[in-house]
Amino acid sequence: MSTNPYIKQTFNIQKQSQLIRKDFPLLNLYSGDNQLHYLDNAATSQKPQQVIDAISDCYQRVNAPVHRGLYALADESTTTYEKSRKKVAQFIGAPQSEQLIFTLSATESINMVAQGWLKHHLNAGDKVWVTGMEHHANLVPWQRVCKETGAELCFIELTEDGSLDLDNATELYSEKTRFIAMSHVSNVLGVINPVKEVTQRAAQAGIPVLIDATQSVGHIPVDVVELDCDFLAFSAHKMYGPTGIGALYGKADKLATMEPMLLGGGMVDEVGDYESSWASLPSKLEAGSPNLAGAIGFASAVDYIESIGLQTIESIVSELTEKALFALSNINGIKIYGPLDSERREGIISFNLDGIHPHDIAQIAGESNVAIRSGHHCCQPLMRRLGEVATVRASFAPYNIEEEINALLEVIETAQSIFMPR
Amino acid sequence: MTTNTVYKEVLMDHYRNPRNFSDVSQSEAVHRGSNPRCGDDIKIGVDFDGDNIGKIVFQGRGCSVCMASASMMTESVTGASKNEVLELTEQLREWFDEKQGDTPAPLETLFALDALRQYPARRRCVLLAWDALESIIQVE
Repeated sequence: MSTNPYIKQTFNIQKQSQLIRKDFPLLNLYSGDNQLHYLDNAATSQKPQQVIDAISDCYQRVNAPVHRGLYALADESTTTYEKSRKKVAQFIGAPQSEQLIFTLSATESINMVAQGWLKHHLNAGDKVWVTGMEHHANLVPWQRVCKETGAELCFIELTEDGSLDLDNATELYSEKTRFIAMSHVSNVLGVINPVKEVTQRAAQAGIPVLIDATQSVGHIPVDVVELDCDFLAFSAHKMYGPTGIGALYGKADKLATMEPMLLGGGMVDEVGDYESSWASLPSKLEAGSPNLAGAIGFASAVDYIESIGLQTIESIVSELTEKALFALSNINGIKIYGPLDSERREGIISFNLDGIHPHDIAQIAGESNVAIRSGHHCCQPLMRRLGEVATVRASFAPYNIEEEINALLEVIETAQSIFMPR
Repeated sequence: MTTNTVYKEVLMDHYRNPRNFSDVSQSEAVHRGSNPRCGDDIKIGVDFDGDNIGKIVFQGRGCSVCMASASMMTESVTGASKNEVLELTEQLREWFDEKQGDTPAPLETLFALDALRQYPARRRCVLLAWDALESIIQVE
């Protein structure tokens, strides 16, 4: 075999993936021919035993109302909840725990900013910028707030290779721009966007920036102070945590001027018959009984990531991505979207095969226990820009192993033999 | 069940050589069916002959299942009365939702769809054309 520059010495990394894989009970349910090749990690990751145990322990040992009881157990539940907040806040470098709001999801976090903050700062004729690669969650809320206020929604377009075309977004930092919302990593293209470059110039122009970090937190280093973003949204379930909980980080002055979307218990200071005042942060933005088990699971996912090391996670995933990109790009009739340079990519690869609908590929894959995604990935505007209705997407986590790339390649071969017989 | 049985020769034949696949712009009644989840997007065009389907065509793009099902549908309903089509559509839905079992397809020409009954995720692909045709008839 000739020396292939894409295949490095990988023995240690392979060994590490195998070890990490052992932590994930769902992946170990299947063995031999039935082995599950879970390559749908950008949609949701699997959960390690450590996180499952932490959630189970919450209900077995800690469960009591948060911020509401005066007995010892209620104290413990409150302390544990706030410790979880601190853990997650520290993980993204938030200066204060109170700047980390627990939400239902990254989607809710973004909606809160659109309706609770931006709506009160927008006038007709103002401009809000997004990019042509946004997930619907980081697009539709801005569409609504622009419609409601008469502001204009503008798009940073993409270059041929799926990078942001910042050079041609000449009006991005203009006087009319009131807000910029962009994803850190595209859930389709896998491309890592130069968010720092945008926040720096936006800060000079006094324009707040929200970063949708759903695909980046827990995968690549994210530090809100270093990024200097005004808001950052992410969720637990894409970083080995439970579903049903997300987070919103905000700069102190932004959160202070944010109106709560949900009103009710826990978020109030004084409630009169006709008027009420709001509690201080973070309670103001967390109406209703807090999601204690979710917060504990979220924090334990952070613990888990820290125990492996973000750097290890990154190098495993980047190794897999590099190999997959190389192997895939050698297939006849394949089109891979986004930059091919694995340095500018996360572990997400979207592609199409000539003459085969993505849905058909995903089903054939499913029959071989290869879990990949087909569809528009909640990115219809991006699909239009790519000139596609859908793509196939494979996405990696540190528990994926090299033979799973081979399983994907076999699936593609099968699909081609069925749909494109020689 | 293997992939090859799912994409039975019949399905693949309909996908590769769709019957009655042509421009719908000349049709008397047209209805679009789309499934944004997977990107199937087709149009069904019908010319009625009294109470019956005189001519039916379709165009658009979609996965193999969607295209094959639309193609089979055009063959199955040509000449049928509106009521017959509505009944057949309902029977097809019920049969598909049964998922498994020995019940034969409501029409011999549709037997190849049997292989898909175990995949609830493909239900929409199979029924997209039928739903569109049903809408045309219900509006008429």
